[in-house]
Amino acid sequence: MNMKPTESHRVVISKWKDYLLGMLLATSLVVPLPCLAQDAGVNDDAQQVVSGFHDQLLGVMRDAKTLGYQGRYDKLHPSITSLFDTPTIAKVILSRYWKEINDQEKEEFIKLFNELSTATYASRFDGYNGESFANLGSEELNKGRLLVKTELQQPGDEPVRMDYLMQRTKEGWRIISVIADGVNDLSLKRAEYAVIIREKGFSGLVEEIRKKIADSKTSSD
Amino acid sequence: MNVASTGIQKNISQAATLCLLAILLILTGCASTQTRKTAADIDPDPLESANRIFYNINETLDRNFLKPVAQVYADHMPVFMRMGVTNFFANLSYGNVILNSFLQGKVNDGMSDTMRFVLNSTLGIGGLVDVATDIGFVAHKEDFGQTLARWGFARGAYLYIPIVQGPNSVRDVPDMATKQLLNPLTYITSIYLLPVTALNLINTRANLLDETNIRDEAALDPYAFTREAYLQQREFLIYDGQPPAEGYDTLFDEYDDGDSELIIE
Repeated sequence: MNMKPTESHRVVISKWKDYLLGMLLATSLVVPLPCLAQDAGVNDDAQQVVSGFHDQLLGVMRDAKTLGYQGRYDKLHPSITSLFDTPTIAKVILSRYWKEINDQEKEEFIKLFNELSTATYASRFDGYNGESFANLGSEELNKGRLLVKTELQQPGDEPVRMDYLMQRTKEGWRIISVIADGVNDLSLKRAEYAVIIREKGFSGLVEEIRKKIADSKTSSD
Repeated sequence: MNVASTGIQKNISQAATLCLLAILLILTGCASTQTRKTAADIDPDPLESANRIFYNINETLDRNFLKPVAQVYADHMPVFMRMGVTNFFANLSYGNVILNSFLQGKVNDGMSDTMRFVLNSTLGIGGLVDVATDIGFVAHKEDFGQTLARWGFARGAYLYIPIVQGPNSVRDVPDMATKQLLNPLTYITSIYLLPVTALNLINTRANLLDETNIRDEAALDPYAFTREAYLQQREFLIYDGQPPAEGYDTLFDEYDDGDSELIIE
């Protein structure tokens, strides 16, 4: 085919250009504003935090067998500490009980909960079967919070929606809850812990969490 | 959606409402006076002590009978056969999905669901093979409990129903009837019915092994875990995976109230 543009080619090309430009203009007018806002730079940062966490998870899953439970735990611990806003998580989960414990107990609980999260991930993500994460965009919530939507895709199995509830801190966007197929880990734990505190008190809860952490280690080894 | 189809839907909706209103009124009792706004403030589980008893009965039965059988089944049944069994029973109960897609005014979904049922029942050899998904008629998750929620009925109390059923709510109970009425197996009398029902039960339990293992691994209080997970997942299904943003605020009520205190500190 003759690749040198002739006069008639040029006309066609310029017409196409107009057409494309028109299309672009039209779509930019049609696309509603909230949609544009969703893709704005701020939300990219939040999505980056989530995809950073996913990369870390997938890495651990791929090397799961060689790392072993302790290896997975040690690899995940720093990123869970930096990417999750555990102080906020602890406060929301303990809800009204938060005010009833002293500063030292608060600090210890934050540390313990961080260990529990890490232990849960380390024991559950113990292998790799071709899983991947797809980004489904984000949605702005009230009070400056953000929902980053993703999907865990697994070959030969139904995909699982994984949404991340994000809050902005001084250090940037941080994860405060993971929502799997609509089940919000934060509210799940809040309901559960309320029952344990009611029946066994705060010290009973701490005891139970310690036991859980030890269990996930032994069941994975 | 055109005017005619909206009219038809309305008629169907009204007929169905009348039919089920009687059952529903008895079941919802005082719960029907609750409005959605106050739903977050109301204890979702006023019947907790009774529910916990039923939960323990179910768990004991499950641990000693159903779960071990389901585990053996999962370990020995080839994956493609399990898929076939799952597809077969899902297809048989798909009438309930079709009806409820229409009842919620999702005409396109309802049409697609009808096509799905027809294709899988014929080309898919009585539902054993899910050919419809590949053609583009994906499965939807609809039931009468979701329809009632869409129509504005309050959830009512959380219920834990013993023997197989498990987590439920007042609003989700009438679905047990529509599911049953729309399933062809209900109208069959045969000596094969018992083994077929048993197979469905074991296969369903086997498909839930991962979920219950996660629960047993993660839960500090499995009863509360099951309840919260159920209630939240229902909410997610009612809104077809797009729950309203305000729903996330209730979690932070105490936290947001406490913000001012933090500043003073």
